[in-house]
Amino acid sequence: MGSSAPQDLAEVYRTTYRALVRFLYRKVWDAERAEDLAQEAFARALIHKPESARGWLFIVAANMARDDARRAARERRHLTLLTAEPQESTLASDEAVEVESDRARVRVALDELSPRDREVLLLWDSGLSYDEIAAQTGLARGAIGTTLSRARRRLVQAYEAGKAGEHVARG
Amino acid sequence: MSHVDDGTLHAYLDGELSPAEVQGVEAHLAQCPACRGRLDEERALITRAGELLALAAPPDRELPPFRAGDMKPLTRLWWKVRLPLAWAATVAIALGIGTYLGRGVEQVPQAPTASDTQPAELQALQAPISADTVQRESRAWLRGAARTPPAAPAAPAPAARGETQMAVIPRDTALSAATLARAPAPQAAFGMVDGALVEKASPISLDSARALLGADPLAVPGAPIRTMYRAREIGYSAVVIVEQALDSSTVIEVVNGRRSPLALDAVVVAGAAAPVAQADSVRERAPLGRARIADSLAAAPAAKAAARLERYETQNRGLRRLGDLEVRVSGPLPSDSLQKLLRVVQPVKP
Repeated sequence: MGSSAPQDLAEVYRTTYRALVRFLYRKVWDAERAEDLAQEAFARALIHKPESARGWLFIVAANMARDDARRAARERRHLTLLTAEPQESTLASDEAVEVESDRARVRVALDELSPRDREVLLLWDSGLSYDEIAAQTGLARGAIGTTLSRARRRLVQAYEAGKAGEHVARG
Repeated sequence: MSHVDDGTLHAYLDGELSPAEVQGVEAHLAQCPACRGRLDEERALITRAGELLALAAPPDRELPPFRAGDMKPLTRLWWKVRLPLAWAATVAIALGIGTYLGRGVEQVPQAPTASDTQPAELQALQAPISADTVQRESRAWLRGAARTPPAAPAAPAPAARGETQMAVIPRDTALSAATLARAPAPQAAFGMVDGALVEKASPISLDSARALLGADPLAVPGAPIRTMYRAREIGYSAVVIVEQALDSSTVIEVVNGRRSPLALDAVVVAGAAAPVAQADSVRERAPLGRARIADSLAAAPAAKAAARLERYETQNRGLRRLGDLEVRVSGPLPSDSLQKLLRVVQPVKP
């Protein structure tokens, strides 16, 4: 990953921005918000010029998403919520509804993973290598495969269980 | 040799084993049908998990341009410049530009701006607009203006900017900052729109605007679109502000609001409700949710919000309903000019 002179960071941006948005999206579940946070992370990287920009970005992004979630939770307690998510309300077709409920099922399934398993899975899915995941999570490199195998299994099981549960509930 | 454990199989399939480790695994697989079977299962599992995660991916959007040198400084500039600019624009407009709509009455001699730089599209404002014109022109702005506002193609000839340049140039800079660097959102701008406080968030693309509103955003035909913003406003589930340049120094904002589908202007939720119903189909959930929310609503805030909205509508005659959208136009122009503009707004087509 090397140093991060601006031109290097531009390259990291090109290769990593979407992955970072993807990673953040699974934490904040709002595409616009995820993009804003990703932009913010890159803006901070320009100031801090971290040694290993990619890993640094994901760490900063994870922290920002956590702060964001806390703030959101705090605000929900005593703030006026505008409305349902616009995304949700604008969808009309059966297909769109199906896409939305699939997304919701995956979200619920992800919530059932332990925080560490979920983090490793999301980092892998965002394109980080085992080395990078190990550096970011503090896990031994040798433990990443095991963690991923468990996370993937639980995700699939939780998703299928959720789907089966819906069918039972509907009769 | 002992069997290969799950973790090693996953690392092997992920391509994350060292060459020596790969050799070891393959040697074992060659002589162990059980592990070969497990290898297939784990491969299927990895594929399935990947598919599920792909279901929960954000919409794939165009990569916003990255200009390392610009990112931070321009972001600051944007916030610094914007507020004084609003005043500068107001003054400039009060002095001269406001005359352009009412210029049939009186030709202002020191304002070559009005006649020389009057972009052809503006005539569309005065002349009745044929649907065809609108379509074609909308496409024209979108191709250039919406994506790269600073290079607004239909922008009036820069020659006659004259005295108004002072107000124009910083504004351009600010816009390019916002669009190119997509100002990190946490500091939101507050724009005064007809006396109501609207929180402006980050600039968005036309596609996002359309997705947010569930319809084509409305804009004044013939005037280049500088930027679109997402905004938040009570009573609306989505608000998109379309910033358009009428001429080199007059920028108006067309505020598109999508009424909250619940038709309740404010929903007060006591306690942090988890999104329990997520798993249900959205359609099944909707009516149920509505009833529940209605039950749990404190009457006062809802009434207050409704009153607020009503006041809003009466205060601002400049509110027009078109389909699901409510639109108003604001800008440094006399209110009757704004009214005229409001009457001609048209959907921005792709």
